[in-house]
Amino acid sequence: MMNNFPPGFVMIIGALLIPFLPHILRQIYMLVLILISAYTLTLGFGIHTKITLMDIEFILFQSDLLTLPFAIIFHVAAVLNVIYGAHVKHWNQHIAIMSYSGAAIAAVHAGDLFTLFVWWEATAITSVFLILAGKTNRSYGAAFRYLIVQIGSGMFLLAGAILLMSESGNAEFGNFDINTLYGQLIFIAFGIKAAFPLLNGWLQDSYPEASEIGTVALSVFTTKLAVFCFAKSFAGTEILILIGVIMTFFPMFFAIIENDLRRVLTYCLNSQLGFMIVAIGIGTELAINGAVAHAIVHILYKGLLFMGIGAVLYRTSTCKASELGGLFKFMPITAICTIIGAVSLSAFPLFSGFVTKTLILSALGKEGLAFAYFMLLFSSAGVLIYSGIRVPFFAFFANESNIGSKEAPLNMIIAMIVASILCILIGILPSYFYEILPYQIQYQPYDFSHVVGQMQLLTFAAFAFICIWHFKIYPPELNSTILNSDWIYRKMIPGVLLSILNLINDINKKIEQFFEFLFISIKKFFANTMIKNKVFDREVGQDTLIVVQLFIILLILIFVWKIYL
Amino acid sequence: MKYLIEKFGKINTLVLFFCIIFLILELIGHRYGETSIEDILFFPAIFGFFSCLIIFVIAIILRPLLMKDEDYYDE
Repeated sequence: MMNNFPPGFVMIIGALLIPFLPHILRQIYMLVLILISAYTLTLGFGIHTKITLMDIEFILFQSDLLTLPFAIIFHVAAVLNVIYGAHVKHWNQHIAIMSYSGAAIAAVHAGDLFTLFVWWEATAITSVFLILAGKTNRSYGAAFRYLIVQIGSGMFLLAGAILLMSESGNAEFGNFDINTLYGQLIFIAFGIKAAFPLLNGWLQDSYPEASEIGTVALSVFTTKLAVFCFAKSFAGTEILILIGVIMTFFPMFFAIIENDLRRVLTYCLNSQLGFMIVAIGIGTELAINGAVAHAIVHILYKGLLFMGIGAVLYRTSTCKASELGGLFKFMPITAICTIIGAVSLSAFPLFSGFVTKTLILSALGKEGLAFAYFMLLFSSAGVLIYSGIRVPFFAFFANESNIGSKEAPLNMIIAMIVASILCILIGILPSYFYEILPYQIQYQPYDFSHVVGQMQLLTFAAFAFICIWHFKIYPPELNSTILNSDWIYRKMIPGVLLSILNLINDINKKIEQFFEFLFISIKKFFANTMIKNKVFDREVGQDTLIVVQLFIILLILIFVWKIYL
Repeated sequence: MKYLIEKFGKINTLVLFFCIIFLILELIGHRYGETSIEDILFFPAIFGFFSCLIIFVIAIILRPLLMKDEDYYDE
């Protein structure tokens, strides 16, 4: 019976017991839940669980070549999250992380759009508590906006599912045509969650406001679930190449002037999602492998970077570049792990990012998409600067700040070391890693051209950064807010609506004043022309008098109209 | 060398050293790219260096447009 539960389901149900367990037992219990969930992956490929309700078939557990790599990395990330958050004694974030991870894993195994919708919304509802755990006024606001956007994306998905159901009689979660209305609705739903350009505001708004362990969990699941959905439903859709290219370079310019290091990492996350989206847009076997591989390693190295900066935040209560610096001597292990994450992100040979980025770039080259290829190369150089160098540099080196600190808690260090080892292992043993990808390919990332080309690109980009820093061209880090696409619904739309409301209010006042003036004029006119306050010798109020007089005028007008027209 | 380290710092000199090593490596072996334009000598190095400069220039131009007070949204 247990085998038939979809993976992740046991984590969601099991999470209900979390508040009743003592701290240490709770951590072990959560790891056991993840192991039980992972055990269901051994069932193999195919449809394992489906139920029929109201004549609609819900496929709860379907696994194939694409679901497996995502399921594996989601389980690994869930384990790392449990270890990383082990120092937090209160149960509230643990229950959120466990059910959020479970919902994302279950969503990957959904075989129809209605089941996907349920888990889609479940990821939104469970994860919002991680943003609320930031416990600041900003995090409360960000959580509210996050929930609206995420639920909104679910509404698009539901609308698409209903349309598909009405047209074809089933809502199978398969390949969709972008030229149909339901295809477009589903595309928008996925696009919101994948933080497409101009739909990305929620990402940079909410993730940096979450708790230090919350941001790590958030960085893993939501956006990668969207990537999985695109790979499953829109592989080979050409528009994705253009969108992906814009995604890769668009956030760079924001990241480079952003002061909050966790927000810098969310811009970087956005940019890396672009690489995956481009690869999905190409749609060849090599490219899909590249997208899936990049999603996996991205979860590891971006999680590692968020862990490192989260540890800094935990120890110093800030992660602003303008307030940090010189922490290497206090937090050397955290610094080294963060640097490993940054090096992996920058795609240095022997680290995980290299073996996946070269896959995507080769796929682009093979298809002859030169423009997209060079834009991604441009972004590869950029990511080294705005994230790969900047984040560890400003946190652990740069200027000596007055912040004293001590090394991160042991559990955080263990999680960071495990993630670091995985980043290196994937980098030095890519052939084993490629085996879990959806398609069997023969690809060798380590050849002379790839290594020398990539190292030239990175070392000279680093050299340019050094020159900019050395010759003091680099602008100072300032406490600031960088405008992003969330400005549209946080400032512009409220501003426009407020102006419209004020205008309506003004017009309303003018109309009121006009009618008041009209009424008073009529009143004066009749009061002066008829016998004062008397109708057929009866004393009446002025208002009644006016009504009677208007009635008489109306009768006269009807009389005239009937006779002469 | 000592002058360079003093003037430029240890890490920076190391990066410069690696830059030169990978330029020399290109002269020794045959590097090819996914597109023909990449066959130009030292193309990745030139591309990487100028990409970084372009990103900085655009970011510095955008800075006054995008940068607001820290409590911009709280007002």
